[in-house]
Amino acid sequence: MKTSNIRKKLTLSLAILGLVSCKDFLELPPQGQITQSNFPTSAEDALLATNAIYNTLRFNEFHFGLFPIMDIMSDDAHKGSNPSDGAATVGPYDTFTHISTEGNISRWWNALYQGVQRANVVIENVPDITMDEDLRDRYVAEAKFLRAFFYFDLVRAWGDVPIITTTLPVTDAERSSKALVYELIHEDLEEAIANLPEKSEYPIADLGRATKGAAKALRARVYLFQGNFPEAARWAQEVINSGQYDLFENFADANSEAGEHGIESVFEVGAFGQEGLENGGNQYGNVQGVRGTPNRGWGFNRPSLDLMNSFETDDPRMEATVIFLGEELDGILIAGDSQTPDETTDEDGNLVEIECYNQKVWTPGSTVPPSFGHNRRFIRYADVLLMAAESLNETGNVPLALDYLNEVRERARGGNNALLPDITETDQALLRDIIFEERRHELAMEGHRFWDLVRTNRANSILGPLGFVSGKHELLPIPQIELDLTGNRWPQNPQWE
Amino acid sequence: MRHLLVIGIFSLLPFSLLAQRNVKGTVTSATSGETLPGVNIRLLGTDQGTVTDINGSFSLVVERDSAQLQFSFLGFKTFTTLVGSRSVIDVQLEDDTQQLDEIVVVGYGTQKKSDLTGSVARVKGSELTKIPSSSPLQGLQGKVAGVQISNAGGAPGAGAVIRVRGVGTFNNSNPIFVVDGVILDNIDFLNAADIEAMDVLKDASATAIYGSRGANGVIIVTTKRAKKGQVAPTINFSADYSIQKLQKRIALLDGREFATVANELRPGSYNNIDLVPNTDWQDLIFKDGLEAPILNAQLSATGASDKGQYYLGAGYFKHEGIIPKSQFERLTVKFNNSYQLSSRLQLGTNITLTPFKAQNTNNNVVFIAYRAWPVLEPYNADGSFAEIPGTGNPLADIEYTNSFNQGLRSIGNTYFTLDLIEGLQFKSSYGIEVDYSSSESFTPEFFVSPQQQNPLSRLNKGFYNRLSWLWENTLSYQKEIGLHRLDALAGFTAQKSTSEFVNLPALSLVRDTPDFWYINPNNINPNEVGNGVDGSNYFSMLSQLFRVNYSFNNRYLLTATLRRDGSSKFPTTNRFALFPAVAVGWNIINEAFMSPYEAITNLKLKASWGVIGNDKIPYDRQYSLVGNGINAVFGPEDAIIPGQTYSSAGNPDLRWESTEQFNAGVEMAFWENTLSAELEFFRKITYDILINLPIPGYYGNGSGASITTNSAEVLNQGLEFNLGYRNSIGDLNYSVGVLGNTLHNEVLKVRGTNGDDDFLTNGAGTTRSSVGLPIGAFYGYEVDGVFQNQSDLDAYPHRSDAFPGDLRFVDTNEDGQITDADRTYIGSPIPSLLYAFNLGAEYKGWDVAIDFQGQRGNDIYNIKETIRPDLYNYEQHVANRWTGENTSNTEPRASQGGYNYLPSSFFVQSGSFFRLRNITLGYSLPEGMTNRLKAQQVRFFVSGTNVFTLSPFTGYNPEILGDPINSGIDLGGYPFSAMYSTGIRVTF
Repeated sequence: MKTSNIRKKLTLSLAILGLVSCKDFLELPPQGQITQSNFPTSAEDALLATNAIYNTLRFNEFHFGLFPIMDIMSDDAHKGSNPSDGAATVGPYDTFTHISTEGNISRWWNALYQGVQRANVVIENVPDITMDEDLRDRYVAEAKFLRAFFYFDLVRAWGDVPIITTTLPVTDAERSSKALVYELIHEDLEEAIANLPEKSEYPIADLGRATKGAAKALRARVYLFQGNFPEAARWAQEVINSGQYDLFENFADANSEAGEHGIESVFEVGAFGQEGLENGGNQYGNVQGVRGTPNRGWGFNRPSLDLMNSFETDDPRMEATVIFLGEELDGILIAGDSQTPDETTDEDGNLVEIECYNQKVWTPGSTVPPSFGHNRRFIRYADVLLMAAESLNETGNVPLALDYLNEVRERARGGNNALLPDITETDQALLRDIIFEERRHELAMEGHRFWDLVRTNRANSILGPLGFVSGKHELLPIPQIELDLTGNRWPQNPQWE
Repeated sequence: MRHLLVIGIFSLLPFSLLAQRNVKGTVTSATSGETLPGVNIRLLGTDQGTVTDINGSFSLVVERDSAQLQFSFLGFKTFTTLVGSRSVIDVQLEDDTQQLDEIVVVGYGTQKKSDLTGSVARVKGSELTKIPSSSPLQGLQGKVAGVQISNAGGAPGAGAVIRVRGVGTFNNSNPIFVVDGVILDNIDFLNAADIEAMDVLKDASATAIYGSRGANGVIIVTTKRAKKGQVAPTINFSADYSIQKLQKRIALLDGREFATVANELRPGSYNNIDLVPNTDWQDLIFKDGLEAPILNAQLSATGASDKGQYYLGAGYFKHEGIIPKSQFERLTVKFNNSYQLSSRLQLGTNITLTPFKAQNTNNNVVFIAYRAWPVLEPYNADGSFAEIPGTGNPLADIEYTNSFNQGLRSIGNTYFTLDLIEGLQFKSSYGIEVDYSSSESFTPEFFVSPQQQNPLSRLNKGFYNRLSWLWENTLSYQKEIGLHRLDALAGFTAQKSTSEFVNLPALSLVRDTPDFWYINPNNINPNEVGNGVDGSNYFSMLSQLFRVNYSFNNRYLLTATLRRDGSSKFPTTNRFALFPAVAVGWNIINEAFMSPYEAITNLKLKASWGVIGNDKIPYDRQYSLVGNGINAVFGPEDAIIPGQTYSSAGNPDLRWESTEQFNAGVEMAFWENTLSAELEFFRKITYDILINLPIPGYYGNGSGASITTNSAEVLNQGLEFNLGYRNSIGDLNYSVGVLGNTLHNEVLKVRGTNGDDDFLTNGAGTTRSSVGLPIGAFYGYEVDGVFQNQSDLDAYPHRSDAFPGDLRFVDTNEDGQITDADRTYIGSPIPSLLYAFNLGAEYKGWDVAIDFQGQRGNDIYNIKETIRPDLYNYEQHVANRWTGENTSNTEPRASQGGYNYLPSSFFVQSGSFFRLRNITLGYSLPEGMTNRLKAQQVRFFVSGTNVFTLSPFTGYNPEILGDPINSGIDLGGYPFSAMYSTGIRVTF
């Protein structure tokens, strides 16, 4: 081979060696996914981002961490399911022996903060988008309502919690005082009330979105927890006077499939009867669904005998709250679970539990999938009436309090005037107890009881025998993993250290 | 330093010009008769010598007739002869198959082992085929010091998990594989019979040429090809058949014992414990012997002419698992050929095609059977599956699980080499790797019990494709001037990997039979459709590489390597990084002063230092992403309304993870190499480790969310040893080998600091990787007994949920109470010693080989025992539980879950084991008989694999390698089987 020939080849080889060094070759953007720096930037994005906040409400973790521990911790319910299922994980909430490493606590915490972040995505970015201003304000208001909704759970369950109002939180966040959290909640709700439409102003296909009424009702609830009765009364009455809501004739419809998004519904989350978040399902109903035959779910959160015995004679609401064995619902015979004793007795032979289920999450059907279709009601009109009654009684407006209370009782008696007579008690202290009992019966198994006991300082006397320790069990422990991940900087809640 | 050394050497050059005369001659191969260029010729007792030229000729000056010449050449037996009065000495060297191994493959080239400065270990293909497995890596177990190989479960077609020199990262810690010049992450699809040898590159000097890819080690696989001059075609046929048996059963409570425990927990559950059934679920779900066969057969042909050479191999492998319905089947086709187009231009291709099909290899039934109540019969009176509470019926699980995975794996490359001028060669190689696979799983509508049922039949189809191409261009230059030998390499490579998956789910199929397992508009579930790229196989990379090997007088060796890599996985600013390495070696044996020590036949020192990178993270970790399909449900019709929002957080400051490694070693051999020893010390520090740091919940990314950051540092340090002795007594040739390594693994940083809070926990909270402890160390309460009674309980700090009969936790911080803060280090998943013994002997036609291997110092967290949301069966030790004062101080009272099942040392078991990995007895027919059969060699063998494993661990297999922070945690996977094989190998 001639030298020149070799040179040519050498040059060629070197050329190949240096080839393809173009920069673009190493640029591989994400495939099929937008990056956060480009979202949300359009009107379409704003809607998508707003919708995604509601998705949080169907997380199984969002519902008290999956298992309805707030009811189980109350005197209304036991663990449920069969004796062994969840005995070590869910069982402790029934006896106040739960611990900071238990999964429900951290799952719930994480779900709530995930909701907060999704709300922050909208609150932070949507105001800068050029689009229809009314719609834009509505989206932000929806996000603020939902953010307040999440923080209210956080502050009730854990007390002082970090306040996060941006999508890029600081790395050294501290727990903020309850007062500051409540301040944020009210700020958010105020703006939500200003910019949200009333329920009737939404197209029917949008039912389930946050409304002015829902924001006002939530505000009433928050004030009630803060013991600010004049404000609670004010906001509850605004909901009542809005004319947007009424009670169903039939008490059961307040939570039934037939009553979804009905006149009594102030805020609820829609769900489609199919397993899986992506399929529109919500496991809340499945976790509590009838176990065994028919197989509708896991059977957790079992109504207690104490709850059943507390109802006034023949209060129809008991039958509508509890599914008993042998009962026929929507043509389906409830036979129950072969691994669950029909009756459980204590060492002395006293009956302590019977196999029964929470009827408020019942959906017609005999298989599992429809149980994922239960629309959980977060706020319903009866609750608003009772909040109004309670706060008006506290502020001295007894006649109006009695009106609202009796409105609830009238519906409850279902046209049978022999039952649940109107209340005429005018002594504030006695009426307070009567309203409180009414709340228990009207709202049983809907996740209110434990918190009602705590906020009215009744927890120690009523839950003490079940293991409740005053000064400790009002709050859940901060999840141990969160303390670990934040470098053990944060104090644990009192007596949980 | 290096310069001084060279100058020193030159000044020592001898001046011995006494009664000199010239001796010349030609060296040829005794077998082929070809002349041998490059043969080393040494004048014994002096440091003089020469090498043969291109024609195999040499000439040398000798001083006296008594001088002895030693001829040595790789692959041939060393030959020594007295010069005497001869002036022409023609020598024929005999093949030495043992010596042939002394060439090792390094990245982009080969090196004589004596020239090697890095740490490279070679395993011959014949070792790999000993184990009846679909993965060639199984055969590597116990063969290379410093390499831990664990079975990835015993499922048909299961591969192996490899760790080279410890666990240096929290990420993917698998090595890379280079097969015929194509870089791969996995070689489970290769047929061991097609492999000539595997070279394991361990230190920084050896792996530096692979730069960013090599931090976890590099395994170079050389497939078979014809040898030059092998004109007559050689046909190889082999077939073997194996039967299997579950190697070990887990001791569980029997029916009566379980009923006793159940009665303690729930009085009155079983009125007469002598009448309850006793179902052994392990008996029911496992099969063995002829019902679980493995068949492995292959045929290959090789041959060559002056114009080209070929290797053609075809193989069939079928493995029926010990769990019914699980199996793996595979065909392999291998074609390697090369053509000499001109004296300067060579062209070649290497192609591997592997179609495969697997069924039910990810079976969960083992865990179900482990926990199923033994007091229940498997079937109802009418023959239907009985309800088994809590777990479901294991047999029904087998019946209703139908999961298939099939596809084609292929690699191929085409290359040419062009000799430009003497010693300068250009090579360009273009390789592709293809993975096309599809999966389908079908669950029919069925009802066993309320907890074990499927209301709607369900079909999931998955389609996956991946194509990776790699283009490598290298210039290599070899030059020898006098005593200087130079070998230089420069190259440029580009690689791109693309991939895509599609998942299609369907519900309520019209029929259950496989003929109807197709998706159509009536059955598709659009909400679960998935489509995207496979994040770990979507990237591009550009690299430049340089290497110089220099050797002086066969004594002083230097290797310097530099690689520059750019990866698409990092943001533009941090995209490129430089990875340098240097190594030196000293062949002391070639020094003149070694002549008196004739017993010593090899002595070499070597040392290396270098930095290697790692980018094994998903492609999009620099980006914060928006998730799709985050739907809301609105309106009276419960309509699903699309939503999107932030999903995962990325890190725009990501940079390369790097490993700095120091290696020093000595190689020795004595008495004509009958005894050989290699010792190596390594110290590896991996820094800027790309770690998925769990982030606090308040960041809002959901449960278990994490962000990738460069924030950890890990040390791995150890000593590797490899001792061999081979000798013969008459016709008996025998060998003994011992190899292994120690390992010290320690986390130096986790969150960029090294404070007490600097740790990383796993999802289950059972491991905590913290400063000063091994990566993935087990974490929980330390148990020091069982509370015997109330006063015992009162005497010790205890949790409020502890009762007499419960485990006593140690108050490690001595604050007088038991809290989460008392959790502590309770064990390490990383062995401190890996070892293997290999024995071999040949006598006339008989051969026997025995391989033992084991490890010490690692622990296993038996998590499968602790997951107890329901009442399940227990391991046998629960039979010895505390039932009252002084009944046991080690085994707590029976409980269904809760306190006694918190992460604690009670569930930490020793993972040490000692295993008879393989024993093979073979017989080769004598020459007379093979001649009559017109065969070159006929060998029969019987073998046993995993014959026994001695281990205190109560589970199936003490080898449980997971990702670094979840390693050594036993969830009860597909168990391991002992295999007994018989087979034949014929060469024509």
